[in-house]
Amino acid sequence: MKLLTHNMLTSHVRGVRPGGGFPLRIQATEVKVNNVDFNQEFVARMIPKVEWGALVEAAESLGHLSDLPHELPPEYENNEDFLRKVHHVLLEVEVMEGILKCPDSGREFPITKGIPNMLLSEEET
Amino acid sequence: MAEASGCAGPFIRYFCTAGRGLEPFLLREVEYVSGKVFFTTNSELSKLKKLKSGERLFLLLKKHAPISPSRNKGKVFNEIQKLVIEDPRCWLDIISIWKRLRGNKVEQGNLSKENPESLKRKSEEEISIIRKKQKREQILERVSDECHVEEQKKSVILETNNMDFLTERKTFLEETSESRIEKSVDSNNHSFSFRVSCRCSGAIAKVFTSQEVGRVLGITLIKQLGWKADLRNPDLELFVHLNDIYSVVGIPVFRLPLANREYIQTAGLRSTVAWAMASLAEISTGAFVLDPMCGLGTILLEAAKEWPNVHYLGADINDSQLQGAHENIKAAGLMDKIELLKASVIALPLPSESVDVVISDIPFGKKFKITKDIKLLPNILREMERVLHVGGTVVLLVSQDLHKHMGGCISNCVENDTSLNATSDNKNGAAVVKDLNPKEENGSPRSISSSIKGVETEHFNNVTCFGSLAAVESYGVSLGKTDAFIYKYRKMPAAGMQ
Repeated sequence: MKLLTHNMLTSHVRGVRPGGGFPLRIQATEVKVNNVDFNQEFVARMIPKVEWGALVEAAESLGHLSDLPHELPPEYENNEDFLRKVHHVLLEVEVMEGILKCPDSGREFPITKGIPNMLLSEEET
Repeated sequence: MAEASGCAGPFIRYFCTAGRGLEPFLLREVEYVSGKVFFTTNSELSKLKKLKSGERLFLLLKKHAPISPSRNKGKVFNEIQKLVIEDPRCWLDIISIWKRLRGNKVEQGNLSKENPESLKRKSEEEISIIRKKQKREQILERVSDECHVEEQKKSVILETNNMDFLTERKTFLEETSESRIEKSVDSNNHSFSFRVSCRCSGAIAKVFTSQEVGRVLGITLIKQLGWKADLRNPDLELFVHLNDIYSVVGIPVFRLPLANREYIQTAGLRSTVAWAMASLAEISTGAFVLDPMCGLGTILLEAAKEWPNVHYLGADINDSQLQGAHENIKAAGLMDKIELLKASVIALPLPSESVDVVISDIPFGKKFKITKDIKLLPNILREMERVLHVGGTVVLLVSQDLHKHMGGCISNCVENDTSLNATSDNKNGAAVVKDLNPKEENGSPRSISSSIKGVETEHFNNVTCFGSLAAVESYGVSLGKTDAFIYKYRKMPAAGMQ
């Protein structure tokens, strides 16, 4: 699971407050760093879709903050240095094993071989 | 794409077989085609190889009016022979073009790698006839040939009688040695070895078997052009199709069908249909694309190969499917583009309005009882609608069985499939392929020509919706054994709903 994907995941366990299932806390036991080709346009287009605070928090919890600022800087589109850092955090850092934890309900979702199991039982939906 | 350098040499006529219902998609790739998709181009083979919705590509040798099935067999045989005798110059010209193409052929690379798992949804009909050619077609052993290094190829030709495409399954060993072909062609002018693969359908099939026709043609070629028959390892294969609309003779350009993707290890859905779905989805750079029932990930693979600068997410509830998808994605080198998730399509772990495109093969009618599916379908659509942005698109593949039951659920507006009439033909000659890159600069699919668009939208005059999902277009396509429908919806703004 890349942090780009993590940034889009939310828990819909029954009883969770609206919006309360985001962002999922990461407890990683294995993190891998891959080499992914940098595409400036792609990264610049993904940033508006990303919850910046959640991304910074997730990267920090994994120890891969890579000097990302807590506030999204203005006019980042042509700031290659900045975009490269975002690229690294969004696409190169990958959680292979661990747990995602719903911040509201505490429900845990295991990550196995990089694939989060977000399946809920019938009673939970 | 290198436009200028990609268009060298004279214009050459081709035709390409396509799965039923996929003609409009292939048409978009070559810009102008009709019927069995005949077209003329001066594009290089490396570009033609990238056609994604076609099955097999042929050099066009002859296209005639249909042969009338007379009771007088001799008369019909004469007509068949005419295909060869009438204009032998044409044959020699095409053969020299074919030789030149083979000579120029870009590196074959993975082409010789057969994909044993593809075409999962194979039809009963496809398991048909294994053709055994007659001994008197003189199987020539060429053991003494000094360049004869490769093993004998065993080839089995499967024919389909009531499908619009021909699927050949062969066990290929190595590529025929190029030098050997050149040598045998050049040394004895036009005397080289060939094999005829014949298919008859319609009225003529009631009078003759494919074998009979193939034999007549074979013998004529031996007499007329001095070629030698070699069923096992021919220099050249001739493809003949006689039906009620036309008589066509062609030469396969590539050994493997275009539909065999070297980057797909294990195909779930037919690759051509998966590509066609992705081509409708308006995938643009930086988009977030979700397949909530991804299975082995075929749609995501086809999409990610064609529109790479996109974040793809595949979800499935089945571990073994996810495992298969993972292996496919890894083998295709698309780990950077596609992520996987175990989740249910009716409870997606995504915020509302977070996805640009939802694209999926709704697998019902195959694994599950249809009655159960009907109850689930509204839940599935509701969840897709929830996660989708306003203005986003949904492209679904729905089996014919489910389609029949969908009336009350989605819409009645797509009763008729809008595929082009596969039997019409281009009487005006063919147009030119200018650009085989099916994308515009922003990565969205090229819009379809206006005449066809008219056909499609006509059926949507009485559009009905599911919630805010408005039907845009639909296509009937063949999955081999069954027919299916590709539906495209767009999420409308709430205010725009009436």
